Amino acid sequence: MNAFASAFRQPGLDRIDPILVILWAALIAIAAVWIAPFVFIVFTSLKANSTVMGSSAFSPPTSLEWANYSGAWARGRFSTTVLNSAVITTVKVPLGLLISAMAAYALSRIRLPGGRALFLLVLFGTMLPFQVMLAPLFTLVNGFGLINTKLGIILPYLAFGVPYQVFILHGFFSEVPKELSEAALVDGASHFTIFRRIFLPISLPVLAALLILDFVATWNEFAMALVILQDNGAWTLPLGLMSFQSQFQSDYGQLNAAIVMTVLPATIVYLIFQRYFVSGLTSGAIKE
Amino acid sequence: MSVRKQWLRIASAAALLLGGAAVAEAQEIKFWTLSFDNPGVAKAFDKITKDFEAANPGVTVKIENRGTDEHKSALRVASGSDQAPDIFFMWAGLGLGGEFIKSGLALPMDKYYTEYKWDDEFIGPALSFSKQYTGGRYGVPFTFRGEALYYNKALFEKAGISTLPKTYDELVADADKLAKAGIPAITFGGTVNWHLMRLMDEILEVQCGPEKHDALMAMKVSWADEPCATKSFEELHKWTSKYMLKPFMGIDNNQAFNLFLAGKAAMMLEGNWLVGQLRNANKLADYGVFTFPGADRLYGFGEYNYISTKSKHPDAAAKFLDYLESAPVQQANVAVFGGSVNKNVKSDSKEPLDLAWQAIFADHDKVFVNGDQAFPLDVTTEYFRVINEVASDHLDPGKAAGELQKFISARK
Amino acid sequence: MNIRLSAPAQGFLLLAPAFLVYSVFAVYPMLDVAGLSFMKWNGLTADKQFVGFGNYLYVFTQDTVFWQAVRNTILWTLMSVIFPPAIGFALALALNQNIPGRSPLRALFYLPVVIAPIAVATIWRWMYDPFFGLFNATLTALGLERLIQDWLGDRNVALYAMFVASVWQTVGFSLVLFLAGLQNVSQTLVEASRIDGAGRFQTFRYVTLPALRPSIAIVLVLSVINSLKAFDIVYGMTGGGPAQSTQMLALWAFTQAMQLGDFGRGAAISVVLLLITIAIVIPYLRWTRSHEGAR
Repeated sequence: MNAFASAFRQPGLDRIDPILVILWAALIAIAAVWIAPFVFIVFTSLKANSTVMGSSAFSPPTSLEWANYSGAWARGRFSTTVLNSAVITTVKVPLGLLISAMAAYALSRIRLPGGRALFLLVLFGTMLPFQVMLAPLFTLVNGFGLINTKLGIILPYLAFGVPYQVFILHGFFSEVPKELSEAALVDGASHFTIFRRIFLPISLPVLAALLILDFVATWNEFAMALVILQDNGAWTLPLGLMSFQSQFQSDYGQLNAAIVMTVLPATIVYLIFQRYFVSGLTSGAIKE
Repeated sequence: MSVRKQWLRIASAAALLLGGAAVAEAQEIKFWTLSFDNPGVAKAFDKITKDFEAANPGVTVKIENRGTDEHKSALRVASGSDQAPDIFFMWAGLGLGGEFIKSGLALPMDKYYTEYKWDDEFIGPALSFSKQYTGGRYGVPFTFRGEALYYNKALFEKAGISTLPKTYDELVADADKLAKAGIPAITFGGTVNWHLMRLMDEILEVQCGPEKHDALMAMKVSWADEPCATKSFEELHKWTSKYMLKPFMGIDNNQAFNLFLAGKAAMMLEGNWLVGQLRNANKLADYGVFTFPGADRLYGFGEYNYISTKSKHPDAAAKFLDYLESAPVQQANVAVFGGSVNKNVKSDSKEPLDLAWQAIFADHDKVFVNGDQAFPLDVTTEYFRVINEVASDHLDPGKAAGELQKFISARK
Repeated sequence: MNIRLSAPAQGFLLLAPAFLVYSVFAVYPMLDVAGLSFMKWNGLTADKQFVGFGNYLYVFTQDTVFWQAVRNTILWTLMSVIFPPAIGFALALALNQNIPGRSPLRALFYLPVVIAPIAVATIWRWMYDPFFGLFNATLTALGLERLIQDWLGDRNVALYAMFVASVWQTVGFSLVLFLAGLQNVSQTLVEASRIDGAGRFQTFRYVTLPALRPSIAIVLVLSVINSLKAFDIVYGMTGGGPAQSTQMLALWAFTQAMQLGDFGRGAAISVVLLLITIAIVIPYLRWTRSHEGAR
């Protein structure tokens, strides 16, 4: 128990601090509460409907009802929704990062007339709730004839992803030493080259963090998809889950299987790339 | 071979090719409808579309199912975009189907009524909804649904109810008996607002009588000035506070049905479609049905399929609808669909619940529709809100009618 | 192929894709919503009718749900600014101590943040199921039947029940930001103050807290902004019910426009929400800028 060898001690002190032990116990208790919903969902997802209605909520499933998963997969049209979500996310996320990085570079490294005003416009965008413009957004996308299309959802996703990413990358690029780019400029390199050869490579860690954050945000987005993707062949995973709930709420086992399948991809990505989440969140916010 | 002949051959080959291309050009009929009540209906539709596609090469029928509320909002949006379905399901009342006809999403179908002689094929009450518009005939009857009280025989017996109630007062008295026996009389799911509304609709019909009820729903008389409206809200509150399986505001209609199946409540106000669900659950023998006592007209509504004005293949869509409603197809599925609007279809079911419904339909020649089909959308939303406010003890039932009228009066 | 563009020209080229898509799909709809709020329009037909302040007048004086939605939005925002940050702060302080299992604990508390809000809504809706859900089953098991509630069906409870789900989802967000802020607290200073005989509370009060001030400001502002947009969780859990008692501005604007087909009234409600947001955001942006300048 190596972890315990030096634990519970204040820095520089040898004796165990009892208050830290109590604190730790409290944290474990809270963690148990935090994880309870997950346990409950997974348990229910493996029970037959009659068992759900007949047995205690905590009892682990006695016979594993895997059929709930295949049933929910078919009924919830998961093969369609997973594919749609995957396509939309893999196109939107890298593309969005690229255009944001380009814009952030221009705003931070090139003296532009009106650059300050443009930056403020972006900053303003980071705070705006797109939820207030769902209806006009629908009208607009509809005007382009893009309702129910992947392009029709990707474009607004790009638009609402730009502000936050530009803001963060702007902060990062601003702190790159001047000498790095000026030497290249003197050598006759264009800004395009400097951006591609110098700035993209050095910002890889930030880009990775933003990539992961944006993946989760795009994968989970609901409200915009709700107004733009009406056709169930175009639905993304969250829309599929919502529809599943409203149609088959009384089929408890399958409903919970559907929840598990919806939540799983983002959870796995999170568990693998944990540290990027933290750095992505904090790189922008905690700079001051 | 003369040049002329050669040209002819080329021309005819081209025509063949073109003709062939026209046949091969995929005509996809997109059919938006509700989620099917039970797997039997889904299977039946699967076969119907496959058979139709086999008989009509080049035409494919794609069915998309949605829950009630999603379906309504998807259609509203569709009517403003170019992504509308070819055929859509909708309730035929003025407040629902009528709204889509008003907004121009539904295609006038007089031509098809002549072509397919539908007037000779459907039963009168179902057909009547297509005639309520001045601009022409809209939609094809799909079903005609009646709603009545299902009851759990064992629980009625346990509460000592030997004869079914004939009047509204007897119904309340029976509810009281059930309550005394510790049995909630009836169950509803409150999250879907239209479920509890059914009770209010029935009470209004009883308290106000057909003419006044219709006038209220048409907003031609003031809710605030009609004592029967206020009395109805008071009666509703009596039910929600004393006789209903609780809690009910946090569950939906399917959950309520699960609880009804589990014997947690004695009655449920449901449509004739419930027979199929009971059959599915193997519980047919445990339940009976009777119409809401005191209401002279049958509570029910027509369900229609409309062809969209945006359909690129309205002829194929009409052909499919004709096939779907044709006597052979309907006859083959009469048990699964729980009846038919085709008058040439005979049900051979010996099932008491089916027979009970046949008797109900035969006994009633007048119908009143659900509130959400009669009111325009925004008034429906307010009607739901007021009903739920009363049901959750937040609004004095004596003031509810006035509250609803205030909203109606403020509309322009 | 060696045409040399001026530096600003290159800059604008780099800016163009992002600003084009941002202007068309974010800025324009925002202006459009303001314009629509003065129109009567059903969203379907071509004709829009100018009605001046008619929509606002209706929303303020006739709409039976609007003020309820305003009250709920304000209450929700207040609760969101107080509880998740406070809990996140406490957890961050605890997790910053020398105790075993810090990383798995942090990962666990953060996990709900990465789950789709609509899935969180579905999960909690099921846990709140009055007959078979976790809460009522637990209460029954503990013999506390009298505490059983119709969690999402009782208007006195529903909003708070929904908020508990929101807390579960958002605490991790504040937690991580606070933990990052705590990295900036100088350990040397902490130790020095302890050697000087300062108690736990004094160290916290005079060393830790001042260093955390920027983190606190950011967490609070982000909490306000995120809570004003509450949409998914309400849509998924109650749909605004029972009897519209948990309705909020963002969802009510959506309902008016997309479900009841009154784009004008929906837009008017949106504008109100937009103005509230701007009233909070602008002072914050100014504060940040003066803060930057002072640095």
